[in-house]
Amino acid sequence: MQLALQILANGLLLGGLYALLAVGLTLIFGVLRVVNFAHAEFMMLGMFGAYWLWELFGFDPYFSIFIVVPAVSLLGAVVDRLVIQRTIGAPEVTVVFATLGLSILLQNAVLSAWTADIRSINTAYSSSVLVLGGVRLSVAMLISFGAALLFALGLWLFLTHTLYGKAIQAVAQNRAAASLMGINVRRVYLFTFSVAVASAAAMGVLIAPLFSIFPRVGQSYIVTIFIIVVLGGLGSVPGAVLAALLIGVVQAGAGFLIGAAWAELTYFVIFLAVLIARPQGLLGRRGAEVYGG
Amino acid sequence: MHSDAGARPAAVTVAAAGAALLLLALPLIIRDIYWLDLGITVLVWASVATAWNISAGFAGGLSLGHSAFFGVGAYTASLLFLRLGLTPWLGMLAGSLLAGLLGALLGLITFRLRGPFFVLATLAFGIMVHIIAVNWRGLTRGAAGLLLPFDGGASNMLFAEFSTYWYVGLGLLGLTVGVSLAIERSRLGYYLVALREDEDAARSLGVRVVRSKVIAAALSAALTALAGSFYACFVQYIDPASTTQFELSVQIALIAIVGGMGTTFGPAIGALILIPLGEILRARLGGGPSLVLYGLLLMVIVLAAPNGAIAGLRSIGRRLGWRRRRPHA
Repeated sequence: MQLALQILANGLLLGGLYALLAVGLTLIFGVLRVVNFAHAEFMMLGMFGAYWLWELFGFDPYFSIFIVVPAVSLLGAVVDRLVIQRTIGAPEVTVVFATLGLSILLQNAVLSAWTADIRSINTAYSSSVLVLGGVRLSVAMLISFGAALLFALGLWLFLTHTLYGKAIQAVAQNRAAASLMGINVRRVYLFTFSVAVASAAAMGVLIAPLFSIFPRVGQSYIVTIFIIVVLGGLGSVPGAVLAALLIGVVQAGAGFLIGAAWAELTYFVIFLAVLIARPQGLLGRRGAEVYGG
Repeated sequence: MHSDAGARPAAVTVAAAGAALLLLALPLIIRDIYWLDLGITVLVWASVATAWNISAGFAGGLSLGHSAFFGVGAYTASLLFLRLGLTPWLGMLAGSLLAGLLGALLGLITFRLRGPFFVLATLAFGIMVHIIAVNWRGLTRGAAGLLLPFDGGASNMLFAEFSTYWYVGLGLLGLTVGVSLAIERSRLGYYLVALREDEDAARSLGVRVVRSKVIAAALSAALTALAGSFYACFVQYIDPASTTQFELSVQIALIAIVGGMGTTFGPAIGALILIPLGEILRARLGGGPSLVLYGLLLMVIVLAAPNGAIAGLRSIGRRLGWRRRRPHA
């Protein structure tokens, strides 16, 4: 029982990390209709940002987050103007390979600049744990979990309760009609992409004290995040959070039972099964898989 | 206009015959093992990209999982040879049959999916095969890979001479391009292009959607696996990193895109451009910076020239034809 609770807790905390990445990715898809293969690279940049500020100036990651996140979102805005906006309305192949190219470019630019060495940040709280009813919880994981849920909730409230949020929703529903209603569509895209990329960078900073930092770290996340986003329904923020927690628990549980490598295979099987049986995902709109591109 | 249209095929025939002759005589001209090795590598990836193009270029199903079929071909032929002593000449047929079945199955699962959903489903399939190749150590020896002993001889597709590999590779490319050409000119080819351009309209005109897509997926997978088996016999060592990795799927697609997606000869031209270019860049710049350029190239090509090199060649050809005609006029 104790063990089951511990596995559940580990899974949920892991799911929280996934949620922060998945919410951004699903937002980019929902609004821009762009499948962003480079999304996890912005998390990698966030990790490296935290690392260098800690290594060179001794800044704590919880402080550097206020430097790294604006910097990466600025980079996101530039990327949006130079690459992403040029793919809007282009054939699927352009969208997919432009973001794949961006991913390869960012990974290897970092690799060329700072080598493939595996780095880490050892803060005082990197290994501190909170014991709750016999279940051990990593404090840093709890903080990033809380941040992820707060961000998702904040984003959802912003999208549903503010005028600009509703403008973003309007663009997501019908680009042409929104434009006719006087919404600056290009600016909505710029804003959405920058915010989504900033959330990925925030996750990078938050997990920097916990995980190894290396140029290809994003690669190990991106496929999992895509699975989560499709499971939740491409474009659905609550769906992404729900699916992230689910995959986190599946990964922790199956990892304990059959080992990490085969656990990965389980959620690929789940993923293909969902695509066959319910391609619109758990909370996605029906038919989105058909007209989604 | 009429004389131009009549003259061009003759010029094309002469060019094609010249190219064929050059390809056949190449091992006699190039004696350097390094360049011949590079040439055979070009043949392998030209075949794979041409096979990918059958489902992705003609039918529009953008696959990012073709490394799976390449790996199935490489591993099936190698394992049948190592475990049962079956010659890779037959092993490659077994691998291609298995890959064809897997391709048909994947086609059946994914034919309904469009856009990003199809891409992600194929990506997931490719990674599943990679996970199995890495972790089913009892079968594949995992990351340690499989070594094919050289004592096999020609009856086991293991040759002492590089030039023999060149001719087998040329036969493989010839077969793949031949199948692709036959499809392009068949009823199936027209069905596939109709599906790619507007699936709903094609369906309403009576195109058999599932059947066409599944046949294309199976043929594409089977031909990819043939190239995988040949690759295993040529390199004589395979591991998941060189046969099933996701990066290979990206490379396969990129080669076809650079050459010209949706055309029969485009993907082979793409391999002729990209494989030597990649080799030179890696040698000159090292792994990291050459991949930065690779990423940049990928972005620029799909944004600026999504129709690939063959579109450029065609427009040059048109211009030359037009100029040559002027003195007669």
